[in-house]
Amino acid sequence: MSNIQIEIQLIACLVAIACAIPGTFLVLRKMALITDAISHSILPGIVLGFFITHDLSSPLLIILAAATGVLTVVLVEFIQKTGLVKEDTAIGLVFPALFSIGVILIAQNANDVHLDIDAVLLGELAFAPFDRILINDTDLGPKSLWTIGIILLVTIILLFTFFKELKISTFDKGLAASLGFSPVLIHYGLMTISSVTTVGAFDAVGAILVIALMIAPAATAYLLTNDLKKMIGLACIFGISAALSGYWIAHLLDTSISGAMTTVLGVIFLAAYLFAPDKGLFTVLYRQKQQRIEVSLLTFLLHIRNHSDDPKECHIDHLNEHINWQKVTSKSVLDLALKNNMIHISDDIISLTPKGKKFTKEAINYIIKEKNTEIEHMKDRFFLFRG
Amino acid sequence: MNITEYIELLVTDYTLRTITLGTAILGAICGMLGSFAVLRKQSLLGDAISHASLPGIAIAFLIIGTKNNAILLIGALVSGLIGSFWIRGIIKKTHLKSDTALGLILSLFFGLGMLLLTYIQKLPNANQAGLENYLFGQAATLLESDVWLMAIITGICLFILLIFWKELKLLLFDEDYTKTLGFNTRFLDILITTFIVIAIVLGLQTVGVVLMSAMLLAPAAAARQWTNNLATMIIIAAVFGASSGVIGTAISASSNNLSTGPVIVLIAAIFVLVSFIFSPGRGLLFREIRFRKNRHDLQLHKTLSFMYNIASTHENKSHPHAIKILNNFQGFTKKSLKKLEDKNFITISGNMWSLTTLGYETAANLYNQLTTDPENE
Repeated sequence: MSNIQIEIQLIACLVAIACAIPGTFLVLRKMALITDAISHSILPGIVLGFFITHDLSSPLLIILAAATGVLTVVLVEFIQKTGLVKEDTAIGLVFPALFSIGVILIAQNANDVHLDIDAVLLGELAFAPFDRILINDTDLGPKSLWTIGIILLVTIILLFTFFKELKISTFDKGLAASLGFSPVLIHYGLMTISSVTTVGAFDAVGAILVIALMIAPAATAYLLTNDLKKMIGLACIFGISAALSGYWIAHLLDTSISGAMTTVLGVIFLAAYLFAPDKGLFTVLYRQKQQRIEVSLLTFLLHIRNHSDDPKECHIDHLNEHINWQKVTSKSVLDLALKNNMIHISDDIISLTPKGKKFTKEAINYIIKEKNTEIEHMKDRFFLFRG
Repeated sequence: MNITEYIELLVTDYTLRTITLGTAILGAICGMLGSFAVLRKQSLLGDAISHASLPGIAIAFLIIGTKNNAILLIGALVSGLIGSFWIRGIIKKTHLKSDTALGLILSLFFGLGMLLLTYIQKLPNANQAGLENYLFGQAATLLESDVWLMAIITGICLFILLIFWKELKLLLFDEDYTKTLGFNTRFLDILITTFIVIAIVLGLQTVGVVLMSAMLLAPAAAARQWTNNLATMIIIAAVFGASSGVIGTAISASSNNLSTGPVIVLIAAIFVLVSFIFSPGRGLLFREIRFRKNRHDLQLHKTLSFMYNIASTHENKSHPHAIKILNNFQGFTKKSLKKLEDKNFITISGNMWSLTTLGYETAANLYNQLTTDPENE
């Protein structure tokens, strides 16, 4: 690996971490799409800053762009407060307008501006190491490494200082306010950090990848854990793995690094979406099927209990017709009941075993008393085999 | 260039005519279908889908190897649909919220698209030039055949929309009720989503991936302010959309270095701004005026009821009282007294006022309302 390759990967990793931290909070606060809006609408800020300084990595540019980002948030909130449209519509109206202004500004001054919309939107990480900071001929490393490094450092310091406040205001705004933290201050603080991070990352990886790096690792982590600290940690790990493997894929295929990183993030998310132990699609579908059968089982047992003195109702052939089940369902429910030793069948007449009687009795009590809670732990006690 | 010259040019110049027609049709269909998106609170679905269609374009190109618009659009359609149904899957089957799902699909699909586009650019194949036009749109590349395609698809959408009009309307405003009536809401849902995807795909070439969502939202959001009737809203939205297209094209054609997409979007944004401020029913301006008028009326009523309290202590209800008496009461000014006199509620002679019979009755009723209405106690 050459020096340049190491530097690119380092920048990519720092960007990934710097995005994952605010991203986690944005996902938890249901504000993920604000990053989409910010990353597009900072364009006019960047262009204006560039007109003034003629330097793409000047601090003024970052300040102006971040200010545009916060302005976007304010505008969205203002439009939303008028009650004329819903929040998502407000977002969808604000950022394309600002983005269009940016695009037109660039196009109008295309001759004397070396600012390419494609580069702004897509970024080119591969060029980042060539823009270096030189002081007295000493090479201090790539500029974007410094920019994103400082932003990451500030983010981490703020995270550790205000972790408690952030956590409480994310999950319970009312509690946070009553404890004396201003939710508004924290909200705008988070928005400012997100804007600054977006701007800092933007230069290296482009607008769209910033969104991916903010949302995807956090969303993937959220599928795997409910613990805030673990979620931040996991999000950082996913971000870094995508950064490294994305770089090498791009290297192999000779394609855009940010595109490859996003694609890796997509694959990681897809894997978590399908296979996450608790919340993955397969687990969810399996659990839904299991619950369906178990509900049928309960219905069936209660039916038998209600008609325990009427042999006709308890006849095995009667099930399909009476509870309106199809043959396959009846058979699987019957099997499950037998396996769990809830019923026994003699001469095609079903009757409850003592265990079945005890279960149905408790179940009826449970259903009457606790209408709104799930019956899961009762099933745990009685079922040897689940549906 | 003045307007008559422009219209002349519109008739004579093939390219300009094609672009104007194309953007007008596009604006109309976007306004029409965008109304559904806005009312169903799926405003940003358009943004996600337009980004999600990019890999489809790239893959379609990789398969056929040439730039055939219709086939590329089918690719976009397929990947846009996959994106939108994955979004639905994420929202339904996991605890991730809709904003996360939209942002995820938007950025992940777009990233994959960029990966494929940069890969295609490196291929030794001269045909790929212009694929990146789908990012920002290039209205100038519109051909007459594209406009025909757009017109035909718009017509088909309109036809199907009319067939399912009643069901769709019901679905928009009460989904659960629609379900209990026995309509297949899932089918209707898929129908609307597919239409929205189609509108987006049609616009990609002209406005581009990035600005497409605004085309869908802005005319509908503007139209929403002028009416509470769905059919009217759709028509107004279509008109707004088409006008944004035509005006935007005209402005960008009359000046160098003005790309059509962003100008159209800005014109649409101006429509929104004007509607937000000036619409009579919901607009901010009239709302403020109404608000002030109400406050004013309230002040007047308070003064009148204060006077009533004083007058009712007297046997003769029209007994004159000194204006000085009112000094303890904050709500009165010379102007408000004059107003009350104009309404014939009181008469003023010198420094004295007295309630008229009309004023007394009005105040008595007012007072009754105030005491019987629990909200005002």
